[in-house]
Amino acid sequence: MRWGWLKGAGAAAFALALAGAAPARAATEIELFFPVPVDGQLARDMSTMIKEFNEKNPEIKATPVYTGSYDETLIKTRAAIRAGKPPAAVIMSANFLTDLAIEGEIQPLEAQIEADGTTPKRFMDQFWPALHGNAIVNGKVYGVPFHNSTPLLYYNADHFKEVGLDPDKPPQNWDELLAAAKKLTKREGDRVTRWGIMMPSNYDYGGWILQALTMSNGGLWFNPEYGGEVYYDTPSMLGALTFWSDLVQKAKVHPAGEQKGPGVSTAFLSGQASMMLLSTGSLTHVRQNAKFPYRVAFVPKNVRNAVPIGGASLVQPAGLDDDKRKAGWTLIKWMTSPEKSGWWSRATGYFAPNMAAYDQPEMRDFMGKNPDAKIAVDQLRFAGPWFATYKTVAVRKAIEDELQAVVSGKKSPKDALVTAQKTADELLKPYVEQTALKLPPTN
Amino acid sequence: MRGELTPRLGFGLVSAAALVWATPFLWMSVAALRPASYGAAGMASLWPDFTPTLDNFAEAWASADFARYYLNTILLCGGILLVQIITASLAGFAFARLAFPGRTALFYAFLVQLMLVPVVLLVPNLRTVAQLGLYDTLPGVAAPYLASAFGTFLMRQTFRSIPRELEDAALMDGASPLDLIRHVYLPLAKPALVAFSIVSVTSHWNEFLWPLMVINDPDKRPLTLGLATFTRGAEGAQAWGVIAAGTILVVAPLILAFLLFQRRFVNSFLASGLK
Repeated sequence: MRWGWLKGAGAAAFALALAGAAPARAATEIELFFPVPVDGQLARDMSTMIKEFNEKNPEIKATPVYTGSYDETLIKTRAAIRAGKPPAAVIMSANFLTDLAIEGEIQPLEAQIEADGTTPKRFMDQFWPALHGNAIVNGKVYGVPFHNSTPLLYYNADHFKEVGLDPDKPPQNWDELLAAAKKLTKREGDRVTRWGIMMPSNYDYGGWILQALTMSNGGLWFNPEYGGEVYYDTPSMLGALTFWSDLVQKAKVHPAGEQKGPGVSTAFLSGQASMMLLSTGSLTHVRQNAKFPYRVAFVPKNVRNAVPIGGASLVQPAGLDDDKRKAGWTLIKWMTSPEKSGWWSRATGYFAPNMAAYDQPEMRDFMGKNPDAKIAVDQLRFAGPWFATYKTVAVRKAIEDELQAVVSGKKSPKDALVTAQKTADELLKPYVEQTALKLPPTN
Repeated sequence: MRGELTPRLGFGLVSAAALVWATPFLWMSVAALRPASYGAAGMASLWPDFTPTLDNFAEAWASADFARYYLNTILLCGGILLVQIITASLAGFAFARLAFPGRTALFYAFLVQLMLVPVVLLVPNLRTVAQLGLYDTLPGVAAPYLASAFGTFLMRQTFRSIPRELEDAALMDGASPLDLIRHVYLPLAKPALVAFSIVSVTSHWNEFLWPLMVINDPDKRPLTLGLATFTRGAEGAQAWGVIAAGTILVVAPLILAFLLFQRRFVNSFLASGLK
């Protein structure tokens, strides 16, 4: 009878589990899928926000559902749609919208916008112009910007003074960036004890930072008007990748190998790196944890000042019934209102997509006290859309694998870009054949 | 282990491997006890150079409803294991001792299942679970694992190694097939059952992606999902101390169980030929 206790316990376990699975409520029940952008505190902030929404809208009962990283949120949303259980709203990485729209997995929001007595154009005009590119696909509004970011140069003002650099004059172009990084790097023999600069190269982050360098070098990375083209094997990207590679291999002011985002900010906060390129989404974390005066500046340019936006938008999956779609839309409008937009921005460090948020008294106060947050917002006038194509994740991975090979010294930038372009073209082919290369028959 | 390796070299290699394995655990313990006021400084250090504090544990505990997650994970792993033991031993017995047409072909078809990458099955499985009305429930998370190809294979091999004479003796005493399994085969297969239980419980204890797909309700999260809510930040930096403490909370029951039953576990693995 050794196994007897186990059987008893197991049977009780399943009975309990089944009992927990029988809900019965009257209000329209909806789910909001959300990835956690920063840390545990924010998961709790999200719960607070939804709780307030439920209290103010008794006819709706929204449940916030934590869905992992941005990539995992995409997998879960797609699986839920295919299983016939679409959530009413999802906070989706802004560069996945094009792919989801092409696949017909999310629906345009025009009908809901017009039902509110406004036009799609007037509705989108609430948000920073830089955000429109990733929210509008083929002329239709598919997403409402929720929290957004751009890459930003963070630097340690103490380190700047220590090596004779002026903290009030951050590097503005790549020459100055390299010169500063060289001065800031500290060595003991062959060992580096402090890196001049660090940039993350892990999946998702690496592609975004490389896009920032490419855009600063005059490039675009992808065709913002058409989801079937990327410009990997081009001079603007070759220059950007070579510059990154040179920082690692030649100047040796940046550590070799894949650097993960959290590792980069940890190195910066512990004084092991003097500068870093990181998301504005990390501002609050850096502000709370830096034990030294830090400053932020625009991403240095080679050809022009330009950065991609990042962050996430709220979307609604296709296949929702009317009640859930309406309830989800109510939630989306509430979460992106100036008041909530500003509150979330102050909690996270992301900038508020809704421009009216910055007219709120709390926000004016906050911007006055935190000039670093203002620089992040100022940089928005140089911002452009984040790369978004058919099969964005795979197309992005095609170049990120090569980027990681380059910073590890395993491949030359030119070879890497040729391979990445070939892989990406192969991935984009099915879509291209159905669109740009679908020509009228000649006979 | 090849014959030409001297025992001393073998011992050295094993010690080195053990050290490599132990390093993350050591680091995790040190990081979990480090006061938050140290910030990121010395985060990479393995040696405790501070007064240990339990603050990180307190914060991790407050960050998520751990008590509920423990219960969910225990229900999940226990439930899966119970059903698996029943299905795997019945199926294993059928494949090992019952003669029926197509037995070999069916057995191989079963084994093919082991070759499938679980990720491929995410969407089809989720669709089935939704059709069964088990979406967002713990039985829905358990459903795809209730029959285990690996368990069936293991039980079949074990049952085949048990002498037929024992079965004949029981049959002469008037035992039914179920009596046979219950009183002859299962008691003799105990080492294999224990080994299988460990593999099953640890894999489902640690699983992340499938529960993430099925579960929406925060109250039904297993430990891995609960831990992830404060460790998988995309754009922020991370509070290593709290993450380390949370991770310890998640793995502690498994480690404790292993330490308590270490000897039996090792014997079971040796007896069953698993590793």
